[in-house]
Amino acid sequence: MADLHDEIQREIAGNPILVYGKGTKDAPRCGFTLETIQFFNRFGYPFEVIDVLENMPKRQALSEMTDWQTLPKVFIGGQFFGDTDILAPMAEKGELATLLETTFAGSGVSPTIQLR
Amino acid sequence: MPDAAVEVYDLTGTMDHLEVFVQTKAFVGVSPLDRHRMVERALAPARADGRIHALQIRTATPEETHG
Repeated sequence: MADLHDEIQREIAGNPILVYGKGTKDAPRCGFTLETIQFFNRFGYPFEVIDVLENMPKRQALSEMTDWQTLPKVFIGGQFFGDTDILAPMAEKGELATLLETTFAGSGVSPTIQLR
Repeated sequence: MPDAAVEVYDLTGTMDHLEVFVQTKAFVGVSPLDRHRMVERALAPARADGRIHALQIRTATPEETHG
């Protein structure tokens, strides 16, 4: 379990936007994972999707770490943000764009899409 | 959540892909993440036995809805 936690912490630290989901970016295997991929595609920042569909120990560790039972699980800048139920209202209020700008500030990464 | 107003939407016509909207005073001062945790906890049995396969959750306080 400790190893899994370390692995997850490394993944979270290594990816400014990280989605734990079911399936991959190219082949999502869950409607909500697909929706989350489409959601982040709109913002134009790079994001990583890690498939944990069949990795039950890792899913268990993730659920315990976040007190959140469902997939997908989204981390931005190392912080847990739930799923698109949480992120969509943030996006509407403009909070998510600000968060992403802050997260990627100084990283040399700029979005491929300009929203404003 | 005694005052909770709950609306349930059947997204696919199969009664197991649902969207719920929960409005209650109990959400005042509670973060979006914790609101969802509260709703998920209340629905845990229906999750566990498969009555709910997929669930989208929206939450609000009465003030947020009418404000």
